[in-house]
Amino acid sequence: MEMMQQLLGRLHPLIVHLPIGFIILALLLQWYDRKANDWSKIISLVYFWAGISAVMACISGYLQYQSEGYSYDSVKWHLWSGIITAIFCFAMHLKLVPKKGANFLVEAPISILSVVAFILISFTGHQGGNITHGEEYLVEPLPNAVKSMLGYEVIEEKELALTEENWEKALVYEEVIQPILSSKCVSCHNPKKDKGGLLLHSKEGILKGGESGDVLASHSEESELFARMVLPMKDDDHMPPEGKKQPTKEEIKLIAAWMDAGHPFEGTVKESGLKKDLFTSFFPSKSYKGHPEMEVLEASQDSIQSIEKFGIYVDPISESTHFLSVSCINKPDFKDEDFEKLIPIRQQIAQLDLGGTQVTDAIFEKLVQLPNLSTLKLDNTSLTGNGIVALKNLEHLHIINLSGSSFDQPTDIFNSFKTLEKVYLFETKVDKNGPKSLKDGQIVLDYGGYDLPPIPSDSIIY
Amino acid sequence: MKHHTDIVNRLLREKLERETQAKTRRHFIKSCAQGMGGLALSSIFMGCDPLQKPKAIAQNSFTERDLNPLATLAPHYGPKVKSVIYLHMAGAPSQLEMFDYKPQLQKYHGQDCPQSLLEGKKFAFIKGTPKLMGPQAEFKQEGESGNWVSNFLPHFKKVVDEVAFLKAVHTDQFNHGPAQLFMHTGSPRLGRPSIGAWATYGLGSENQNLPGFVVLTSGGNTPDAGKSVWGSGFLPSVYQGVQCRSKGDPVLYIDDPDGISRNLKKSTIDAINKINKEEYAKYADPEILARINQYEMAYRMQIAVPEVMNINNEPEQIKQMYGVEPGKESFANNCLLARKLVEDGVRFVQLFDWGWDTHGNVREGSIDLGLRNKCREIDRPMTALIMDLKQRGLLEDTLIVWGGEFGRTPMQENRGNKEMAYKGRDHHGDAFTMWMAGGGIKKGASHGATDDIGFSGIEGRVSVHDVHATILHLLGFNHEEFTFDFQGRPFRLTDVEGEIIKEILA
Repeated sequence: MEMMQQLLGRLHPLIVHLPIGFIILALLLQWYDRKANDWSKIISLVYFWAGISAVMACISGYLQYQSEGYSYDSVKWHLWSGIITAIFCFAMHLKLVPKKGANFLVEAPISILSVVAFILISFTGHQGGNITHGEEYLVEPLPNAVKSMLGYEVIEEKELALTEENWEKALVYEEVIQPILSSKCVSCHNPKKDKGGLLLHSKEGILKGGESGDVLASHSEESELFARMVLPMKDDDHMPPEGKKQPTKEEIKLIAAWMDAGHPFEGTVKESGLKKDLFTSFFPSKSYKGHPEMEVLEASQDSIQSIEKFGIYVDPISESTHFLSVSCINKPDFKDEDFEKLIPIRQQIAQLDLGGTQVTDAIFEKLVQLPNLSTLKLDNTSLTGNGIVALKNLEHLHIINLSGSSFDQPTDIFNSFKTLEKVYLFETKVDKNGPKSLKDGQIVLDYGGYDLPPIPSDSIIY
Repeated sequence: MKHHTDIVNRLLREKLERETQAKTRRHFIKSCAQGMGGLALSSIFMGCDPLQKPKAIAQNSFTERDLNPLATLAPHYGPKVKSVIYLHMAGAPSQLEMFDYKPQLQKYHGQDCPQSLLEGKKFAFIKGTPKLMGPQAEFKQEGESGNWVSNFLPHFKKVVDEVAFLKAVHTDQFNHGPAQLFMHTGSPRLGRPSIGAWATYGLGSENQNLPGFVVLTSGGNTPDAGKSVWGSGFLPSVYQGVQCRSKGDPVLYIDDPDGISRNLKKSTIDAINKINKEEYAKYADPEILARINQYEMAYRMQIAVPEVMNINNEPEQIKQMYGVEPGKESFANNCLLARKLVEDGVRFVQLFDWGWDTHGNVREGSIDLGLRNKCREIDRPMTALIMDLKQRGLLEDTLIVWGGEFGRTPMQENRGNKEMAYKGRDHHGDAFTMWMAGGGIKKGASHGATDDIGFSGIEGRVSVHDVHATILHLLGFNHEEFTFDFQGRPFRLTDVEGEIIKEILA
């Protein structure tokens, strides 16, 4: 019984769309029919269906409210406006084709009633949306100016996002200084919570200062705002207080430099005269991350588990991406035909370690099926590299490790690889004296074989 | 017949007694915990929290992680390295004879140390007013980076462009034990997990036949702080470092005893583990799980460990490059082993080399002689390690950390306020040098600087916590969010401090 209750309750988000559809349909028909007035019967019928489905929505909604642990306070507006909508639908039904003893709505003009119906269904629907998605769901994507106009509190927690290209054009206060303050200071210095009477969420607040006076100064050393950030952590006056998220060294440096430049609130970084080296640490690093920059769908857990049961490691590269790293470190008997096992996760494989396995040259035409392969390890295998050129079409391949394999192909075949950066060729059959790089240094070939020849001091004992 | 029933009855009685003995204590805590004051107790006795039923009892099954605690897990964000090789020079090497070139100190050689520097400072042995001592090595700028390396390290200069130096690391400990603990566990007191334990706890380990965290020692002694520097602290003990010997059997008693076949061993372990699992279901002590896993691991290690720990099969050229001495316990052997272990997917390899405590009291502990010998012992192997990892494509997946527990004074030690037999320097935590190399590290970087005589950092000072934050960052962890709940609060390796040293990151 409880199960049925819960199941029906969970159908509520589905059922609610029926009355919404019917009411909208009725309203559209009314609009279309506003002159001729031929369709009253049909519209009335649509309102009847709307009423019936609204009652079903009410029942399922009530069940959901009962079984999913919502509090009355959070659902009351939605609940009552839903019930009113249902009743109103029946009223409209009766109004349009009056039956005996039910002509009480005749007086009201139909256009006003239609507007009421529209408002009712919108309001009810919106309240329902607020319950499932949260009250700020619709407001969130709005620009901050609009948000604060609507009365929503705006606390930005944006990390500095500057790039090599745009740093000079960034607004020095709005896009550099305020984001630092917002992420590290504003949680205690905002209109709701103004510790020390200081507000750091806006220009006005910063200029006004706090209980102990101004926080800005034309020299950073004289500024309370700066001084407190560089006090020793143990000092009671250190800000932010111990245990709170601290600004980084680079951020503190930036704030100091901004003050020394006369703390401009307007203009761009370029106009403020701040130097580039203050900003470089905020630029996103361009180096190879171990997987393509884009995102893929998550691999199914079932596929991963069946591959792992086979003895192959499948690891998420990190919590922030769906790309996977696959390793046969515990599966030295992996053979070419075992590759089929990996097909279900072929989109997600970014790193593949087949080092020390039984794979042969036949593996290359299979590897082409991994469109996002970025790092490929084929070290300590017996492959000769015949057919490796097939991999040139992989658009994300950065590293190939062939060390300890029987690779004997001419290295210039790698010239046709688009994104390749590094090839390890230690202990292969390739001539060690070949070119150290290809494509003007884009591809580095590492032949290894490094040596530390003996020197006299090796044997001097003091 | 009656005799047998007697024995059985006796055994049953003993079992019952044992159980009641075990139960009474737990019942006491349980009833305490249900009382008012007991609620506080339960949070203090974390690990035997009687209110919290263990998962195994609740679901009548073990989770994946319970049964396979070294299963690999995802880090917070994209990791730069998969493994760490930490080279610790136990005893604290002198930065002033290796990397931190102070020509000014030579000028002041033999002069009294200014009182202003000594005020409020604690030294392990220095008394009264010591004399400043100039660098006892010759320095040159090496490589394209132009970083300074002394003539004590003639091989290392060849890889100087691969490493990033931290010239102004500081610690607040000035004795070996606490300083080593601080360097490896983030606290100078006992009880915290070591970096390697955190790393294996957080990431697991790839090779299922090898421990995730291996420790190798050389120099004739283990670190002063004892095994706690590779301990697991409050983490389950399966994450502690496994010390392997580089001489003789790598792990003691790893071979099957005579007359015991591997199959018999397997069934013995299976039986023991079955009983242990029942014990765990009853008492829910997480250490029982650790024991189950250790048995299984030991069984798998029987084959894998002797293989990976055997350096004899390496090509001659590689052996020469490292300067290995098969059959002996040496830093060179350990470096080669470290490469083999990392190659086989071991997460954290910790090397300790003992004998760097150069006070000047004995010949081996002198700055100009003993230190030079120690430098020779590590110079070739650590250089070879970087080169060898590089040519195998492993350096981009591995982080190498080199350092001691603190540095040494710019003053000559004057133990007992007397002239000492040899030249030596005392313990000094205000400024010392460490270096890192490998994945995610800015090659050829040098961060931080000390004052003219190398007494304190004046620029780019970094703390031990900062070093830890950086290591965790490279492994893919946000050190502020990587926590373990113990005694009612989350614990971090970096406590409430630590900032990633971005200056040495690529």
